[in-house]
Amino acid sequence: MEIIYNWMDWLLPFEWAEFTFMKHALLAVLLVTPLFGLVGTMVVNNRMSFFSDALGHSALTGIALGVLMGVDNYLLSMLGFSLLFALLMSGVMGSGLSSADTIIGVFSSTGLALGIVLLSSQGGFAKYSGYLVGDILTVGTEEILLLAGVLVLVILLWVLLFNRMFLTGMNPDLAASKGISVRLTEKLFVVIVAVLVTISIKWVGILIINSLLVLPAAAARNIARSMRAYHVYSVGISMISGVTGLILSYYLGTAAGGTIVLTAAAFFFVTFAAARLRKS
Amino acid sequence: MITFKIRSSKPAGFRSVHLPAFKTMLSFILSLCLLLSGCGVREKEEDSFRIVTSFYPMYIMALNLTQGVPGVQVENMAGQQAGCLHDYQLQSKDMQNLQKADLFVINGAGMESFLEDVKQQLPSLPILVTSQGIPLLEEEDHSHEEESEHGEEQGSHEGHEHGEVNPHVWVSISDAILQVENFSEGLTEADPIHGEQYRKNAEIYIEKLETLREEMHQALDGLEDKRIITFHEAFPYFAQEFGLEIVKVINREPESQPSAKELAETIREIRETGVKAVFAEPQYPESAANIVAEESGAGMYFLDPCTTGEESPDAYLNAMRKNMEVLKTALAG
Repeated sequence: MEIIYNWMDWLLPFEWAEFTFMKHALLAVLLVTPLFGLVGTMVVNNRMSFFSDALGHSALTGIALGVLMGVDNYLLSMLGFSLLFALLMSGVMGSGLSSADTIIGVFSSTGLALGIVLLSSQGGFAKYSGYLVGDILTVGTEEILLLAGVLVLVILLWVLLFNRMFLTGMNPDLAASKGISVRLTEKLFVVIVAVLVTISIKWVGILIINSLLVLPAAAARNIARSMRAYHVYSVGISMISGVTGLILSYYLGTAAGGTIVLTAAAFFFVTFAAARLRKS
Repeated sequence: MITFKIRSSKPAGFRSVHLPAFKTMLSFILSLCLLLSGCGVREKEEDSFRIVTSFYPMYIMALNLTQGVPGVQVENMAGQQAGCLHDYQLQSKDMQNLQKADLFVINGAGMESFLEDVKQQLPSLPILVTSQGIPLLEEEDHSHEEESEHGEEQGSHEGHEHGEVNPHVWVSISDAILQVENFSEGLTEADPIHGEQYRKNAEIYIEKLETLREEMHQALDGLEDKRIITFHEAFPYFAQEFGLEIVKVINREPESQPSAKELAETIREIRETGVKAVFAEPQYPESAANIVAEESGAGMYFLDPCTTGEESPDAYLNAMRKNMEVLKTALAG
């Protein structure tokens, strides 16, 4: 880590980079945003943006369970619960009994309500409200390493499985006819989203985590003309809004997560306008 | 439980078609009886005097005042782990609890933000405000520039809290003594039968508190550097009593995380002024305090505002002794 700090001191002779917590936050942003950009493309393609939103909400129940069991680190209880929740939700969706948006709505509100009930049974909900808006400034070294590990893993999965996942998302029947196990691929993607949402929720916040997943990809979709460009734009927009938002939040004294999302939203509207102009 | 009993006590040959439905009915009725009788038992205890305290510090005082007094029940509304009541939301069980109370003991000074609701719902509930008559401190403005900037940015008064008084009275031992006095007076008025015992208990407890205060003055008065940085607005009364100087409060609103700018300003201030210690509170996550301490070179310690803890009459005394030890190590040489 020392080497990275020294590099950063040399590369970033700015006021904000003088503090280690800002260096940590920047590193975390540089690791998390490409993840969101990458996974977001598939979320947007497969029309799953509310699915990931529900996963974010379920994290609150995960935190509550962790609190009730007296675990200090809520990561494990959150991860366990959101994996269970995600698989259950996609299982119920696969049953085809009601439409996907209804099922997601049901699960999303259940996850949130269960979390509120469990947490407030302990007396004060206020203590955990930090999870609603997130706090990227408290990222530690170990967590950065964890993020780096997840980034490597997701990139690997992407390289290996992109075609399969893409085809499954586009046309499940065609995918099945090509010998792809549709169900397994879907579940795998669900697991990826669940893991990503869970490990980053503490820093991004339950309320806005989904925007980070959806906005860069949606903005990229406005202007991209090929699959490759779509990915490059999405990751690029995600990273640029992450870094810009973080630095802006330092000078403006605002919450980092919210500022990052607003920057990404600005990207969406600019690209939207650009796409409209090009069309007309 | 009940269903089991019925089923196992019936002879095996007794089965008929209607029996299952009958059994469910019976078990339902039996359990209903059990529930109702449970309520009945509780109501029979009417002759006892029921004190409900709003939160932990009041609860500890109540435990001391009622020690050894027969027929007095003390219950803590918010629970031992709720901490400060800043954003406490009343639950239906709290209202039930209050409905059965003979006296509701609160801190006052704005700590119980839900007080108006309670008054409206239960107009006949006697409420004892223990902070009555204690000179209150206004929420102090520790960094004027920041405040004016906030005003410009947001146009309006973002938090009305800034003009309000600070409710953390009990953290000062002298004020806690006054609160115990108010408490015992009010309690004697509400339950005169046990008045003599309450007064005696109050005397004993106040004596303990006075000894502690003496002890803490001896330990802390000699310290040269008394500048501290705290995390929340819980310690102005405490600081006033022991001559500590709170240089900065990192986080005014206990629920929010400090922004990067606030953290950076605090770190710079510590570097410039050489303040030795940053104090977090055991009730809140310490990650932000950790950051400040690590980057500024100050030490990080815990000061306990005694808002959570065990159910022991000596909990306040013990927590304060611990605070004294922490301050001694943190500010020494």
